[in-house]
Amino acid sequence: MISLAVARDLLLEAAARRWFLALGLALTGLLLLLLISLRLEVVDGALAATRLFGQPLHHSIQAADVALRPVFLVASQLVFWGGLCFGVLSCADFGPALLSPGRIEHLLSLPVRRWELLAGTFLGVLALALAGAVYASAGLVLVLGAKTGVWTGWPVVSAVLAALAFGSVYAGMLAVTVWVRSAALSAAAGASLVVLGLLATHRAALLDVMGPGVGRTFFAGLTSVVPPLGKLADAAGALASSAPFAPGGLVRLLAGTLAFAAALLAVAVWRFERRDF
Amino acid sequence: MPAAFAVTSLHKRFRTRLGRTESVALDGVDLEVPRGEAFGLIGPNGAGKTTFIKCLLGIAHPDRGAVELLGGRPEDPRSRARVGYLPERLTLPGAWTPRAFLASVARLKALRPERPGLDALLRRVGLADAGERRIRGFSKGMRQRLGLAAALVGTPDLLVLDEPTDGVDPLGRVEIRQLLAAELARGATLFINSHLLSETERICTRIGILSRGRLVRSGSLEVLTRVQQRWRVRFAPGPVAAEALVALGFEPAEGGAWEIAAPDAPALNRALDGARTTGALLVELDRASRDLEDVLTEALAAGAA
Repeated sequence: MISLAVARDLLLEAAARRWFLALGLALTGLLLLLLISLRLEVVDGALAATRLFGQPLHHSIQAADVALRPVFLVASQLVFWGGLCFGVLSCADFGPALLSPGRIEHLLSLPVRRWELLAGTFLGVLALALAGAVYASAGLVLVLGAKTGVWTGWPVVSAVLAALAFGSVYAGMLAVTVWVRSAALSAAAGASLVVLGLLATHRAALLDVMGPGVGRTFFAGLTSVVPPLGKLADAAGALASSAPFAPGGLVRLLAGTLAFAAALLAVAVWRFERRDF
Repeated sequence: MPAAFAVTSLHKRFRTRLGRTESVALDGVDLEVPRGEAFGLIGPNGAGKTTFIKCLLGIAHPDRGAVELLGGRPEDPRSRARVGYLPERLTLPGAWTPRAFLASVARLKALRPERPGLDALLRRVGLADAGERRIRGFSKGMRQRLGLAAALVGTPDLLVLDEPTDGVDPLGRVEIRQLLAAELARGATLFINSHLLSETERICTRIGILSRGRLVRSGSLEVLTRVQQRWRVRFAPGPVAAEALVALGFEPAEGGAWEIAAPDAPALNRALDGARTTGALLVELDRASRDLEDVLTEALAAGAA
């Protein structure tokens, strides 16, 4: 319960930050623009014509749900990678702000366990990522659903996947912050994890082209623990566009991602419990 | 009376990242503060006062020694739930209102933040009219008052205040002193860390002097400021035979008073009888005392020796 109170405070703090106000306004503006400027003519479930800003877009007549698949695919990739990059930049300061002199002493004097503070911060950031991703994807589903009559919840599920992927990255950022209170270092750790996640996606192919040696062993070890974010993004895209995918593979991917985040959080809590402020 | 807190042989050293000892912050501090007392910890900058508070509240981990806080361990949230703490430099969320901040503190203390209670707290610290203003526009004194209000959330049994009147104007200091007196009257224990000796003198009944991580003096304010075997006397206005008084051992003091050293009551009375024979009429007798600044200076000099 205390962790939820910490998470609630973080969300209140985020609501006052320009980063998140700008994101909310930008997403709302984009959705409104789409709502106003996009004209879709649907006849008997088929998309007959499309107009954007009054200009016709040429395409063959096809079923509306099929026509929307690439749109949802692109949107899911934007939410996934755009969300990761935005999250790394905009959330880098939450950990350092929590540990700032004059604030952490006060928080630690309250009847709050140290792990509850970290868990609350993590949950708050996760809720923030979920809110942003779900708002963008649900908004898109609503706009396109209203115009085509095609209603699907998969893009929203895909957005949840993106938020969980960011959760694993943020766990790393928080762990680094507990060692060194620096927003820049936290952002650098997040960016490094995103890059490593991309490399882990193509791990097998990269290992094939690397010569034997310490570097290869190091790379193999490092990319074996980092979640392959590209695979998660592909799975999110497949979910959003109703493309076939292997549920077992996704479950394994998610379990690995959550285990990675849990391990990093455990390291962060271990250090936080021992640190003096 | 049970202790509000007791520390035994508290040691704390700060180390560099490479593990080398950088400084000794606390070097074997023993201190027990009974419940319901107002205790002031004074000392120069870097004496270890803030580190002491941090070890007391579990914010820093002592290297050695034991800390008992309200009958429990500082790591136990149930002990800390009964403590109100005002840090030296409290960082407040600038975008929030004071009411939102106090509500957050109440939630973190597992209390239900209710508006009447929060408003009453804001009234107590003189921020009744600022309840809806953003904290970022607050002056240093207003921030300090809000920090004090946060410390008072949940009517704590022990108030640990690090420089509570720092940045507060003289009128505000009087209000804070009255507020702390009310807390003391309700049975709360006050532990105040301040470099403002006059403030400490006015609020606290017992004082500890910390120097280089050691508690060099500790005791009631009266005992610490008393000059042993020395008395301050005042005679009725009129001609006083100064030379005769000096011959009896009296020394002129400030404001027309006299001081005399007397090892015991008979010696004091002999001196007073002698003064009366010179025609001097006694109207006031008191133990000679020093102010806290003198006590601190002397204690620090003794600690440095």
